[in-house]
Amino acid sequence: MNSDPFSPSSLITDHLSPMTLRTPITLVTGPLGSGKTTLLRHILATRPAKIAIVMNEFGEIAIDTKVIEGKNVRIAELGGGCVCCSLLGEFEAAVTEIIKKIAPEIIVVETTGLAEPEALVFNIQEALPECRLDGVVSVIDADMLVRFPELGHTTRLQIEGADILLLNKIDLVDAKQIEPLERKLREINPSTAIIRTERCQIDPELLFGIGRERKAATLEPGSTIPATTHKHQPEFESFTFSSDKTFSRDCFEGFAEALPKSVLRAKGFVRFPDSVQLFNFVAGRWELEPFETHRTELVFIGKGIAREKSAILHTLEKCTANKEKMISEP
Amino acid sequence: MAVSEQLKKISDSVWELPASYKQGMRVPARIVATEKLVREMDEAVYEQISNVATLPGIARYALCMPDGHSGYGFPIGGVAAMDVHEGGVISPGGIGFDINCGMRLVITNLTLDDVQPHLHQIVDRLYERVPAGVGSHGFLKLSRQDFRNLVEQGARWCIEHDYGWEDDLEVTEENGCISDADASKISERAIDRGYNQVGTLGSGNHYLEVQVARPEDVRDKQLAEKFGITIPNQVVVMFHCGSRGFGHQVATDYLQTFLKVMESKYGIKIFDRELACAPFESPEGRDYFAAMKCGLNMSFANRQVILHRIREVFSEIFGRSAEDLGMQMIYDVSHNTAKLEKHTVDGKKKTLLVHRKGATRAFGPGHDEVAARYRDIGQPVIIGGSMETGSYLLVGTASGGETFFSTAHGSGRTMSRTKARKQWHGKQLQRDLEARGIYVRSTSWAGLAEEAGAAYKNIDEVIAATELAGISKPVARFTPIGNVKG
Repeated sequence: MNSDPFSPSSLITDHLSPMTLRTPITLVTGPLGSGKTTLLRHILATRPAKIAIVMNEFGEIAIDTKVIEGKNVRIAELGGGCVCCSLLGEFEAAVTEIIKKIAPEIIVVETTGLAEPEALVFNIQEALPECRLDGVVSVIDADMLVRFPELGHTTRLQIEGADILLLNKIDLVDAKQIEPLERKLREINPSTAIIRTERCQIDPELLFGIGRERKAATLEPGSTIPATTHKHQPEFESFTFSSDKTFSRDCFEGFAEALPKSVLRAKGFVRFPDSVQLFNFVAGRWELEPFETHRTELVFIGKGIAREKSAILHTLEKCTANKEKMISEP
Repeated sequence: MAVSEQLKKISDSVWELPASYKQGMRVPARIVATEKLVREMDEAVYEQISNVATLPGIARYALCMPDGHSGYGFPIGGVAAMDVHEGGVISPGGIGFDINCGMRLVITNLTLDDVQPHLHQIVDRLYERVPAGVGSHGFLKLSRQDFRNLVEQGARWCIEHDYGWEDDLEVTEENGCISDADASKISERAIDRGYNQVGTLGSGNHYLEVQVARPEDVRDKQLAEKFGITIPNQVVVMFHCGSRGFGHQVATDYLQTFLKVMESKYGIKIFDRELACAPFESPEGRDYFAAMKCGLNMSFANRQVILHRIREVFSEIFGRSAEDLGMQMIYDVSHNTAKLEKHTVDGKKKTLLVHRKGATRAFGPGHDEVAARYRDIGQPVIIGGSMETGSYLLVGTASGGETFFSTAHGSGRTMSRTKARKQWHGKQLQRDLEARGIYVRSTSWAGLAEEAGAAYKNIDEVIAATELAGISKPVARFTPIGNVKG
């Protein structure tokens, strides 16, 4: 950390080869007691990838395994390449050590309920050239919103900074109260995706791959979307689509723009005449960026979207130039 | 920013939100500031300070200093005195998570001309010896047991281990060791986060500065002489830091405890959950007080070790001992604390737990808690400005009773870190500063941009407001020439 300030990390970044795979970091934020640890437990139970979870105190997750004492971090192996880490030193040094020792595909960081995510977001961008910020997920306790209608300063910042907001513990509040709560959250952060949860039960596919720090994203060329082997929760449905055909960009952009509200997330690759692009869609906002792969492969996730699947795919197919074999599976 | 219609002008430097402003307010809320500063305050401060006025046991007023801005629950710049015999509460949000974040000032007998030729060397070496930045570790290798001893003994532990002079303790608030700090009340997690951080600056707005007292900036010559500021363009060193991850963890641990018991066990209802608290006279409240004191001591020790490093660096570069260089410490004062103090409220002596979050204690002359050396002139107050605008040494005044003898702590942000980062480029800022004679070393360029002078309120105006309100009196203003930014 105490390297020469005249070679700032921005320069170091420039020296990194464009082929370097930068580890995506997802920040989990939210007030004390909102359910952050529950969310981490849930993510670990579903284990969508080789994941490293950095948490304040992993004693909160029952761990019956060997704990490795590092210099800046204490690491508990969970099997399948997943680990749970608790910091000894400070954040940046710990993350660097985790990447060196474990090389996880995803790092999820639980921030303390007191933290203003803004500062950590900048620290990741500034001091960790080996990482990129994938997204900020805030867990907000619906019951707390009802009982303490006056939002605290830090809570407000945690809502403002979120790419995805989990309105958690909705089972503890009257169903009629939920919509006004969502409106309140949306007033503070109009562009976020709000997802209602009980005990943070959410499809982890919704949380990862948001690609917030797009410009810096240097994904491994030729990689494919990891197959989703875990079971989706009942209220969320997903389907995938793949094709070897070429799509019209204008038509695809129109398709993305018109995706129904029930689709919360969509991501994957699309082959256009001139290039293949990475498509990333979060609650109505979407972007395309160049990506080196060959096929079109997309996944759509949302609430009750199974019944809209054929309509969505039909619109999408209309964007192809030639009729070749297409595969779609639930 | 629009000033609330309900904000009543009490005087040119005092503004009041009456207890009728919000249901549940037990006392009025007062803001000490000039009209200009009040207008610049974000409106969230009104809500926060009036929420504080609803807390059980609050005496007289919930107060906000002229450099106030919104923070976790309480505004930064908030002062709240709780009557511990009337159900008064203790609240981590009223102390701040960087427990005992504070300022320390040391003088030298060197002048700007003596230091200028060596300035880069001094700053570069300070940058090496006083680790800064978020991932920094101290050079002190402490075992967990050493650290437990240190948090109970504070700066005294450092002196016993040869990190400083006996005299330093005399001019540290609480003599560098607040009594009844109890390491059995802190979590292992807090120790994890603290034991390798003694002697480090940290990140954010923490810094270490080499400064000059220009003759035109000595505001009270007689008082300045009492502090040994006697030579034109005399060089001093000022630094700002706290209890690092340790204090943060202590606060987090007890906020969680308080959230569990506050309403169910003690029936305390609050508007904003960030004001989580417990009665001072409760097992939870007492435990937090004893744990928070460990944070106070950790921070006094942290600044003591840093002072020792500063003396080493100057001594090496000038080839003279620190004693020979006149490196006397002026004072060390906290601006994130809660302390039991005796104050007179409505003619009655009361024991109050005074929360100061981003506010500095400023006892006037004659107060028995002021170091003997300064008892006739009042307690020294050190207020850091932004790195571009300068900092101040002041003294407490006899007329400070209205704010429980509290004053400002800094200049206070006027814009978010995000906005500052968008507006300035750290490296360009560094060049601009150097062109103006300020040499800066920073671990983070974006972090440097956050601290751009224009991101802060005008320090001169903040100081003038405290003088107008009669809560502190300026002695000298210092201009930075070298800065190590955390």
